Amino acid sequence: MGIESKLGDNILTTRIDSFINWARKNSLWPMPFGTACCAIELMAVLGPKYDLARFGAEAIRFSPRQSDLMIVAGRVSIKMMPVLQKIYRQMPEPKWVISMGACASSGGVFDTYSTIQGIDNFIPVDVYVPGCPPRPETLIDAVMKIQKKIEKERSAQYR
Amino acid sequence: MATNEEILKKIREKFGDAVLETSDALGEAAVSVRRDVIVDLLKFLREDPDLAFDFLMDLCGVDYLEMGGFERFAVVYHLYSLKHNHRVRVKAFVPENDPRIDSVTELWAAANWAEREVYDMYGIEFNNHPDMRRILCPDDFVGNPLRKDFPLQGIGYRESFEKIDRESAQ
Ligand code: SF4
Repeated sequence: MGIESKLGDNILTTRIDSFINWARKNSLWPMPFGTACCAIELMAVLGPKYDLARFGAEAIRFSPRQSDLMIVAGRVSIKMMPVLQKIYRQMPEPKWVISMGACASSGGVFDTYSTIQGIDNFIPVDVYVPGCPPRPETLIDAVMKIQKKIEKERSAQYR
Repeated sequence: MATNEEILKKIREKFGDAVLETSDALGEAAVSVRRDVIVDLLKFLREDPDLAFDFLMDLCGVDYLEMGGFERFAVVYHLYSLKHNHRVRVKAFVPENDPRIDSVTELWAAANWAEREVYDMYGIEFNNHPDMRRILCPDDFVGNPLRKDFPLQGIGYRESFEKIDRESAQ
């Protein structure tokens, strides 16, 4: 059935970076930071219809120490921002961040004293997802963009 | 059940000189009073057997900046009687230069968080409140967001966080 039957008794060679990146990109463990309506769409992505498991990212971890992909889904208030930063710091390297939806990316329609105008002002973001809320396909596209990004990384850049 | 007229008449009789205005519009009884009688008045409303307003439905603040109140701020109490099925709205006016009023937490424990919200949003302090601190905004927040002269986009708090960049995060 598997690829083994085609290979017979041979060995494969590859570069260590390609091998590590191949493993990393196909086993992303997302940390869902869902604070508002976008989180509902995030749940739909994880559900059976859109099924993020097809991309190896179904192991949702609510502990930042076990995850490497943070998905910020929803608006972030001034009271939540220190929490978001703390969680981001707790995630081990390497880590990636998806800013999902208009609110997380720019504050959306909430241009008020209590809403952060884009989380990228305070933490690094790798991929922005437009929409209010984004369709599940759009988030899947973002996860695939993260995977493309991981492919190009060099493992030496992380200590 | 007492009619609105009867409720307002009772209040006027007992607290005549502290009542600024009474109204009976759209079937709703409302009375505006000086702030110094508020605890006595609400206690009377709660304990008088014909009125028996045993339920504090809501307690909120109003900023009357340029809207012609008796003072700049008001604290509004919405009362309901489960026994008699009637309602009344009480407004106590609070001046801008001394924004404080007595707490009614000893009459209704439910007033605790509502008064904290008014304190947070309008900066009106409640005397004798057991736990007078902000409830929604962060503790070190400066300003009172629901005051009409507070700028919508705030005064810098939402921009004040530390920036984590990719290098410092590693
Ligand atoms: S972008 Fe739209 S759907 Fe997403 S959190 Fe903001 S308001 Fe809700």
